[in-house]
Amino acid sequence: MNDRTENLLLALPGVLLLALAFFMPIAQMLALSFSGPEGLTLQPFARFLSDSYYLGILWRTVRLSLLITAICAAIGFPLAYIMTKVGPRLRLWLVVMVILPLMTSVVVRTFGWMVLLSRSGLVPELLRDWGFVGRNFALMQTETAIVIGMVQVLLPFMTLSILGVLTRMDGRLEEAARTMGCSFLQTIRTVVLPLALPGIVAGSLLCFTLSASSFVTPNLLGGTRIQVLAASIYRSVTATPDWPFAAAQAVILFAGILLVLIPYIKLTGSKHG
Amino acid sequence: MVRAIPLGLRAAGVIFVALTALFLLAPLIVVVGVSVSESQFIAFPPDGLSLRWYQQVLSSDAYLGAGWISLQIAVLVTVMATLIGGSAAIAIHRRQLPFSELLATLFLSPLVLPTIIYAIGMLMFWSAAFGPVTPAVLALSHTVVALPYVVRTTLAVLSESDPYLEQAARTMGANRLQRLWFVVVPQCLPGLAAGAFFAFNISFDEAVLSLFLRGPTLTTLPVQIYGQLEFSPDPSVAAVSTIMIALTVALIAIIDRMLGLTKFASS
Repeated sequence: MNDRTENLLLALPGVLLLALAFFMPIAQMLALSFSGPEGLTLQPFARFLSDSYYLGILWRTVRLSLLITAICAAIGFPLAYIMTKVGPRLRLWLVVMVILPLMTSVVVRTFGWMVLLSRSGLVPELLRDWGFVGRNFALMQTETAIVIGMVQVLLPFMTLSILGVLTRMDGRLEEAARTMGCSFLQTIRTVVLPLALPGIVAGSLLCFTLSASSFVTPNLLGGTRIQVLAASIYRSVTATPDWPFAAAQAVILFAGILLVLIPYIKLTGSKHG
Repeated sequence: MVRAIPLGLRAAGVIFVALTALFLLAPLIVVVGVSVSESQFIAFPPDGLSLRWYQQVLSSDAYLGAGWISLQIAVLVTVMATLIGGSAAIAIHRRQLPFSELLATLFLSPLVLPTIIYAIGMLMFWSAAFGPVTPAVLALSHTVVALPYVVRTTLAVLSESDPYLEQAARTMGANRLQRLWFVVVPQCLPGLAAGAFFAFNISFDEAVLSLFLRGPTLTTLPVQIYGQLEFSPDPSVAAVSTIMIALTVALIAIIDRMLGLTKFASS
């Protein structure tokens, strides 16, 4: 046995697993989305793209995903920056604060939001008591509920992406900017933010992709009335078994994600996906 | 250190971090709170204190059965993903295969594809070609999703290892298997351990694949919870969820002891 054989043998189980349980299923799904009773067809795609109901779902998915990503970046950047500035003990606690929700099942976290946002839940009750909203105010089954829940689910991904970049940043760059007369906020804007950009981009891609393709949180917090694309796919598979249509929607979802991903990656030349 | 950050900004920073902590942890705190409530209904803040919902969960066949399936699958996934991903990472790291760049991309590709798309593909492929989904198939699909994490953590550790150790072992007369087992694998251990924790956690908490690939006798814990939430949430769901949160806390504590959480998080 030579070195090459040894390495081939090491990689082989993984290659086989991916071929059989990853690439073949994806290929099958692609084929199914283009297949009808009489061979090749675009009918499922045409049905989706000509129906204003489904176009509305697509638009909502894109709109909410962009909003969720933007909010995650707006909170995640200062949070990650503060994490690099505090002492080691406090940093450990902040890392726990980010990792603990990240590693908790999405179903469990969504349940927490269902309790908090429900009609008699803590959040609407407080808002009512403080006089911000009227008596009939409801949060559950609204797009706001989806955004709140999804930001909590995805914020850890954004924070960790940015943290990874910021911890490798040379702290002397900031000092240099300060000694040259930059104020604190100027330093953030002209030095830290540009250096953190690869992390923000990587985190945004992750958040957008995960947000556009998640259905557990939108389904439970938005209800069946406010559907997103992934929830619609789930329904096409479970409620009305229409596999070609489900497959076509999945292809549309992935094409949409690629449409956002590719220019982003080209633009930054970043290798992070 | 940067000095003279304006006092107002410091105060704003403290308030910001406190609010973010509250936001991130609120759903978990609420779930734990509901689980110890005495009330029949989901109530937060909890009315009274009682462990009756835990008692109910521990005598519920549905929850115990789902928990047992989840645990079995998670253990199987951890073993498979760590073995397969770890050995693949070693092969990729050595860069002796003509297509090792492609191989690296190949092994990381399940990260890029949204799970829901993979889930439909797997469901259609498997039920068309082989029939109903079994626990082994579900474990296989979890392994595919967990694999990139193991490959990534192992590659990260290997890239900081000493490349000459293996050559040294070779000149000392160690054969292939000995070099692999006594030189390379020990170097990989922190990465393999991190990957194994990821794999267990991903599998145990995974809801999307499990929802698509479920069957009448194949319900994992997250799927069971999801079903309860959709139809009839009661405080016993909170008790199960709290047990899952406790498991996560334990896992994080172990990771911190073994690998150092701060390093783990920013890698």
